[in-house]
Amino acid sequence: MQAVNVTLNGEKKTVYIEGGETLLDVLRENLELTGTKYGCGQGACGACTVVVNGEAVKSCMVLFRRLEGAEILTIEGISDGVHLHPIQKAFVDADAVHCGFCTPGIIMELYALFTKNPDVSEEEIKKALNKHLCRCTGYLPLIEAAKLAQKYYKESLKEV
Amino acid sequence: MAFKYIGKKATRPNVLERVTGKAIFVDDIRLPQMLYAKILYPKYAHAKILSIDTSEAEKMPGVVKVVTGKGIKHPYGDCLHDRVPMAVDKVRYIGEPVAAVIADTERHARAALSKIKVEYEPLPVYTDALDAMKKDAVLIHENLDKYFYVTPLYKPTPGTNIALSYEIKKGNIEEGIKQADVIVEKEFVFHHMSSVAIEPHTAIAMHHPNGMIEIWTANVGPFAVREQVAEFFGKNVSDVRVHVPHIGGCFGYKSDPSIEPLAAYIASFVPGRPVKLKLTRTEDFTSTFIGRGMRAHVKVGATKDGKLTALEETLYLSTGAYADTGTNVLIVSVQASGGVYYFPNAHVKGYSVYTNTPPVGALRAYGHPEAQFAIERMMDLLARELNMSPIEIRKKNFITEGKTNVVGEKFKASDGNLFKCLENVVEAIPPEEGHKEDDDYYYGVGYAGLIKAPKAATFASKGCHIKFNVDGTVSLNMSGGDVGQGLWTVARQIAAEALKMPPEKIRVYSEIDTQYSPWEWQTVGSMFTFQGGNAIIRAANKAIDILKKNASLVLGRDPDMLEYDGEYVYDRSYPDVRVAVKDICRGYVKPDGTTIGEVVNVTSYFRLPGVQNPDPETGMGRTGGSYTMGVQGVKLRINKHTGEIKVEHVATSIDVGKVIYPKGAEGQVLGGVVQGLGEALFEQIRFKENGALENPNLIKYKIPRLEDIPDKFTIKFVETPDAIGPYGARGLGEHPVIGVPPAVVNAIYNAIGYDFYEVPVTSDMIKKVLEEKGMLKEQPNETTKASLSETVDRDKEG
Repeated sequence: MQAVNVTLNGEKKTVYIEGGETLLDVLRENLELTGTKYGCGQGACGACTVVVNGEAVKSCMVLFRRLEGAEILTIEGISDGVHLHPIQKAFVDADAVHCGFCTPGIIMELYALFTKNPDVSEEEIKKALNKHLCRCTGYLPLIEAAKLAQKYYKESLKEV
Repeated sequence: MAFKYIGKKATRPNVLERVTGKAIFVDDIRLPQMLYAKILYPKYAHAKILSIDTSEAEKMPGVVKVVTGKGIKHPYGDCLHDRVPMAVDKVRYIGEPVAAVIADTERHARAALSKIKVEYEPLPVYTDALDAMKKDAVLIHENLDKYFYVTPLYKPTPGTNIALSYEIKKGNIEEGIKQADVIVEKEFVFHHMSSVAIEPHTAIAMHHPNGMIEIWTANVGPFAVREQVAEFFGKNVSDVRVHVPHIGGCFGYKSDPSIEPLAAYIASFVPGRPVKLKLTRTEDFTSTFIGRGMRAHVKVGATKDGKLTALEETLYLSTGAYADTGTNVLIVSVQASGGVYYFPNAHVKGYSVYTNTPPVGALRAYGHPEAQFAIERMMDLLARELNMSPIEIRKKNFITEGKTNVVGEKFKASDGNLFKCLENVVEAIPPEEGHKEDDDYYYGVGYAGLIKAPKAATFASKGCHIKFNVDGTVSLNMSGGDVGQGLWTVARQIAAEALKMPPEKIRVYSEIDTQYSPWEWQTVGSMFTFQGGNAIIRAANKAIDILKKNASLVLGRDPDMLEYDGEYVYDRSYPDVRVAVKDICRGYVKPDGTTIGEVVNVTSYFRLPGVQNPDPETGMGRTGGSYTMGVQGVKLRINKHTGEIKVEHVATSIDVGKVIYPKGAEGQVLGGVVQGLGEALFEQIRFKENGALENPNLIKYKIPRLEDIPDKFTIKFVETPDAIGPYGARGLGEHPVIGVPPAVVNAIYNAIGYDFYEVPVTSDMIKKVLEEKGMLKEQPNETTKASLSETVDRDKEG
């Protein structure tokens, strides 16, 4: 067993692993944070996207033992499940959530994008969304939701 | 009729679960003492199993049990009972389970797999129906004569690899061919594809000491799962309980029982403990259902003035190693072969043929895209022969009021207005935008009609349970699987309309449990709105009747003198004589405590009236019952230097009768069009000669990304109210996928003057054609602006 110290959704945590686990394995199996999804295990679909040290990463492609000292944020960490984060609210308002399986990964992708630069261009937003597979929506609702999410996010910054 | 909630903006009932990561999908479920199973697959796609040695695997760390198919006595199924959960004495495809390891963790189970030793005797492998039909072909199922089939329709042909033959005869085909001035004859191929929901198949199964088998799965046919698992284990149907939590997309392959019988079989070796079977993405490709895989030989005749006279066609479905789930794919293809056109004479035959691929099952609109790709291409070829425009020939032959389709069903004016749909599409994408070029691109436009019935078993039915609560709110309980199509939303809107109360007062169910949920056949065939909607209206009316009877006891008026408005039941001539719904929904409690009246807790069902099995002799009959029709158009451009296809605009106009949930209906079209583009342009499961899949993952099997969507979508719904649909509505979920592949391939001809007869048509195929025709231009010197696909980090193998 190997101990890895991380900050997970704002809390300091020591996680004991065997060694070969991916970040996705640890989130889902060790920590029961099942909001992050397995879709392909090869970094192709983006359903497992979480934020590590401010960057969106595909958690199925990251070995957990490399994350000593890292700050990890998952879908469970951006709201208490009752009061929505502005990005989540935008996805509800834009009706961009169909089966919802790819949704947490996409929301985390946009979280990283907007927190780094709230003023990113539409082209940058599309590039970020292009890392994700969604079989339901035909993507257009995701673009609309992401643009609305950017607006809500920027408004939330002014409120603080 | 003015509606308050139908056709208005609506919020998805369980959306907050889905944006917060709190929605529970099957793989998110953790049960006490849960074990994990991993599956061993064969080295060969077709081989006899000589021996299996599990002794070394059993000694591996964490291993609880190693399971083989040795003890399996009889097959199971729905139409043709030819399926086994695990190979018994031979393997028939590369993804067939040969053994399973049950261990304390998935990792331990996986590690033990390589210790299982299996000896095989390889047999010839067929991946194409035409090869498997050859006289000297080795039989994939030797005991075809012993399999049970539910009706004579599903009778196989023992001694061959033909699992099913079906034909229809309408009018007089010889006469029809004679009357024709022009005859066009072609072969078409719709290659194998996968549904690719982003959530791979997962199931949990547990055998209880009380004899119950409990299953958790992402499947829209939980009652079918229950029946087939019960049959396999020789149990009462009531002894199997199936739970369906949130489902991460379906698109077809989660509608028939898939891995559930396997999970239940494995779990039977460790009674009392739940076993989770979670497929990897690769297993999701190799070991569930694939779709399409159809060849069509088509001959169409028409008079000089463009009137169709005859359709003569043979379809060949390469149905894979087990034919049960493909039987209806073939039958539906034959029945849909005429598309949206009227043929006075037709003779269409179909064969479903065993091959050594994963079994073919449902894939969005199954049977319809395959058949209508062929007929919609034929309409363009015929128009060319007749020197007529593709639009004109379609208008001349649309199926209209009083005309019959190829199975002889007479159409009514209320079935929809194809002319209006075509007009909408041509207005959005006029023919003048095609058959053009500039320095860098060839431009083409293409059109295709589409039609589909809410196909199902004749007895298929949906149920609705309405429970009034003591505060006057309502619990709505049904068994439709919301796979993202917005079914929960539509259910709530219809319930709100029928019960005259705001949607906020109606709590929609969030999971299906066969122990409590009303029976429903399967959530398939774009029929939930139609059948489920009517079931809701019936249940609502029943509930309102009881409320009026209860109110009658309280108010001293006859029930038919009372009105209901969602909050009160009142005297229609003196509205202030009233009683609140909340005070009578559990009966009425009098001041002294004595209680009168009925509890408002009702269930109703709805099925399509008059739908029948086809006649065993002619194959004809009222097999659809209701149809949704439409037209799609595509404008695309082809890069003269690279052959790359870019779809610029897709227009869809469908006569849905009545739009209930506008954003949801639009979403179904967007998603369907994009899936259709994937099928038209790149989605294909490719097989090696040995029957292995070349591309069983999302790196090699490409599904559309954002960069692949058209620059523009046009969506126009026509609303010709249906005669029996709820509030005039018809089904829509699958239809938008149907017309896209033929419209794309028609547009490719329009752009470069080359006919393709298969899908997908990839940019590489186009490049080759341009080269051959001398139409490929040299790359311009200046580097073009990097496109999205070139700058995004994706599809790196390794």
